[in-house]
Amino acid sequence: MATKKNKDLDFTIDLIPVISLMSVCICFLLLTAVWVRIGSVNVKQAVGGQPASETAKKPTVWVNINGNGDTTFDVRDARIPARLAKLSVKGVEGKPDHAKIKTLIQDLRATEPNLATALIQPEAQAVYENIIDLMDLFKAQGVIDLGVSPL
Amino acid sequence: MLKNSVVKTNSLPTVLGATSIIGPTTDENKRKITSEMMLTSLIDAFSILMVFLLFNFSSAGDLLSVGKDMQLPKASGAELERNPVVKFDNGKYFIEATEVTPDGLVQALLDLRKQYQETRPGEEFPGILTVQADRRVKFEQLSSIVQASAHAGYGEIKFAVVMN
Repeated sequence: MATKKNKDLDFTIDLIPVISLMSVCICFLLLTAVWVRIGSVNVKQAVGGQPASETAKKPTVWVNINGNGDTTFDVRDARIPARLAKLSVKGVEGKPDHAKIKTLIQDLRATEPNLATALIQPEAQAVYENIIDLMDLFKAQGVIDLGVSPL
Repeated sequence: MLKNSVVKTNSLPTVLGATSIIGPTTDENKRKITSEMMLTSLIDAFSILMVFLLFNFSSAGDLLSVGKDMQLPKASGAELERNPVVKFDNGKYFIEATEVTPDGLVQALLDLRKQYQETRPGEEFPGILTVQADRRVKFEQLSSIVQASAHAGYGEIKFAVVMN
């Protein structure tokens, strides 16, 4: 009895072109990869010719920070209790006390939900990193309009 | 030439020659010197490497060149965009890699603004500036940048940070 010849269904994939393609892709991606993600903290400042009297008054917190990380908060044009109007937070090891400042901002926002503007007035010896940390804390709590006052 | 030489036909297989793999003189150890490469694992490694590099791919490339001594502050910031860069490094001020004096900052920024308005006549000047400085710098050194940008009409400053 003649046996049926089974068709050979196996086939081979040539992997060499795949490896060549991958090598080229990897070389290209290695050159274009960005290893450190750099972002930005945005602040605005007044440059227009509009007089201050014509500018709409919004609740604003004025923050002073010195070289030791001590911060002073002064809330203006807002309906908040006197106990929250002017507050100070002492720095910890030369840096602002993040936990206390975060709680303070939360309290201020809870009392005055329209509070979305902060103006930071750093002193000459204030460290740049501490100023950025302060701005980051404000942004995280919803105070998105930030300004930095020059000396 | 030595195919039919007396030496070749009369040489007896030595012990070393018989056991040699490279130049065997007997049929016993004659085998091909080929090795098989495992391409599957190589392709697996390449695939993982490609996926990792694809995640780190950026069409904009590096927008800022950060020196090895400079440490940017850390924050959860927004994505950085391409804007004029003012850098404070080692006590010197640089605008787009050109060194300027503290007194010349305003004029340099005004020149940059004028250049923008000349090359893009129909467009509104965005007035955005990127500031790059080391995290340990005191604010008194950055104050001149903030002041000069206000004088030159740059209403928005973006402080470059390393994203958390």
